[in-house]
Amino acid sequence: MNKLLNPARLALNAAVILMIFFILGPIVWLAVHAFTSNWQYPDLYPSGFTLHWWSQVFLDSALASAMKNSLITSPIVVLCSMIVCLPAAYAVGRIKFWGRRAFMIGIFSANSFPKIGLFAAIATLYYSLNLMGTFLGVIIIQLLGTIIYMTWIPAAAFAGVPRNLEEAARDAGASKFTVFRTITLRMALPGILVAIVMSFLAAFDEAQGTYLVGAPTIFTMPTEMYSLVQNYPIQVAAVFSILLALPSVLLLGLARKHIMGGQLADGFQLK
Amino acid sequence: MISVGRKKSREGSRSNIVARSSLLGLALSLPPLLLVFIFVGIPICIGLTFSLGFTHGPNRVISLIGQQIHVKNHWWGTLAAYSDVVHDSRFLGDLGLTLFVTVLSTVLVIVMALAISIYQRLIGGKQASVLVTLSIVPLFVPVVISAWAIHTFYGGDGFMRSLFSQFGINFPTLTSTPAAIVIGSVWTALPFSILMISSGMQAIPDALVEAARDCGAPSSKIIVNILLPLAKTPIIIAMSFTAIGILGSFTIPLFLGPNQPTMLGVEISNFFSSYNRPQQSLVMAFIVFLAASSIAILYVWSNVKSARESGRI
Repeated sequence: MNKLLNPARLALNAAVILMIFFILGPIVWLAVHAFTSNWQYPDLYPSGFTLHWWSQVFLDSALASAMKNSLITSPIVVLCSMIVCLPAAYAVGRIKFWGRRAFMIGIFSANSFPKIGLFAAIATLYYSLNLMGTFLGVIIIQLLGTIIYMTWIPAAAFAGVPRNLEEAARDAGASKFTVFRTITLRMALPGILVAIVMSFLAAFDEAQGTYLVGAPTIFTMPTEMYSLVQNYPIQVAAVFSILLALPSVLLLGLARKHIMGGQLADGFQLK
Repeated sequence: MISVGRKKSREGSRSNIVARSSLLGLALSLPPLLLVFIFVGIPICIGLTFSLGFTHGPNRVISLIGQQIHVKNHWWGTLAAYSDVVHDSRFLGDLGLTLFVTVLSTVLVIVMALAISIYQRLIGGKQASVLVTLSIVPLFVPVVISAWAIHTFYGGDGFMRSLFSQFGINFPTLTSTPAAIVIGSVWTALPFSILMISSGMQAIPDALVEAARDCGAPSSKIIVNILLPLAKTPIIIAMSFTAIGILGSFTIPLFLGPNQPTMLGVEISNFFSSYNRPQQSLVMAFIVFLAASSIAILYVWSNVKSARESGRI
């Protein structure tokens, strides 16, 4: 057994190291640049460290306003998505209504049209509805990317709430609303949380549609990032990347337990 | 006793409840459906008519601005724009690259996700959970950043070349090659597949695996005869979502790929804004959609089949 175990363990450790390189390498490499003054190929170490780039990012009014825009639009998009989608998710999860499966498939097939093609097609509609260059236009375009998360994941969470628990509470005299609030909603909360996080990320990351609709009046952090990497030194892009990744890291850190616990995976199985 | 009686009366008025709740269900699911219908369905339909040469109505402005616009010559339109695209050698190169990257990246992602999930399921331990946690990390990173990070990491003055040059080895510059698109696609798609497949594997009852082990089945038999068949649905879901995502991807090939040929997602955008050929751009979008739809059908079929097998339909 031991003879067999050792090469296996060796291979496993090699796999772990390779994965660390593959996954963490690029982000660490980029992140370190945010604190370096100059870094020449082929040195493995930078020639010095500085915080100069951070002040440059915060003092740049275009970048600062992009940050502000992103932090305003994404929460609004998530809120709208919840209002629009959560009742539907409840219906899909709990009510066996006619067309339920067609609804799920419809949402899915809308998602499998290439985004970039959709944005090309949507321009015509946006011009006729006067949505080009407007805040509402940006909200709607980001909202579209969140629908699949905000319907599917909570639907599975609502479906997973045991009925007999609710019936027991009803039999004990609790009102329908109390049962919904203290049992149904409470037990579906992890799924809803995961959906909120995934929707926030989808909205926060959305760049192509936002650029098409928002430019040249409304820029968000990801749209700014596209021009940033071409026009600024790599260190500025690195600083901006750290700032841009911060909300995702914080939010996903909060929901990590539920995401890895299967809430996300459950949401993507049609039932 | 009382609760049993109540349940019976509920069963009695069931047909009434079903009709009422059907209406309620439809009403509740209407808002997202309407949103998708207006902002996805309608633009796609208008786009389809435009690609077929209907240049009036909502397509009037874009037909005036765009170049090389074909106008319909039959009642149903014309396929001239489609023929433009299909006979364009650039498009054929792009299509080849897109399919190549999609297939290779999907296979790599699924193999990696399977290896890690099976290892976690059968052996477990600290290394397994480190591997799973590592594979989830890309979920935390916005795509623009991942693309740019990978761009610099494998670029001409990136880490890989710096590291290997310490030993006098000239590591190839991967950035701006198809290899970099594959690396980027695998990197960004891995978390979803890991989450799907590992949760599918974890759901397989211990008793089944233990029983097979007690009968002396080797790990390879357990994997082929128990784990893979029982986790089939999550595997197919992971596969189809990964393939559809890569097929229409934009940011990763834009930052990491060569200028020519490029993936169709980038070419759609080039044709639309840089070359001002909106009709051909939409034709490409529909071709990508066609490919994505055939994968989507696989996904739906697999879900319906598994629902039927477990008696939910």
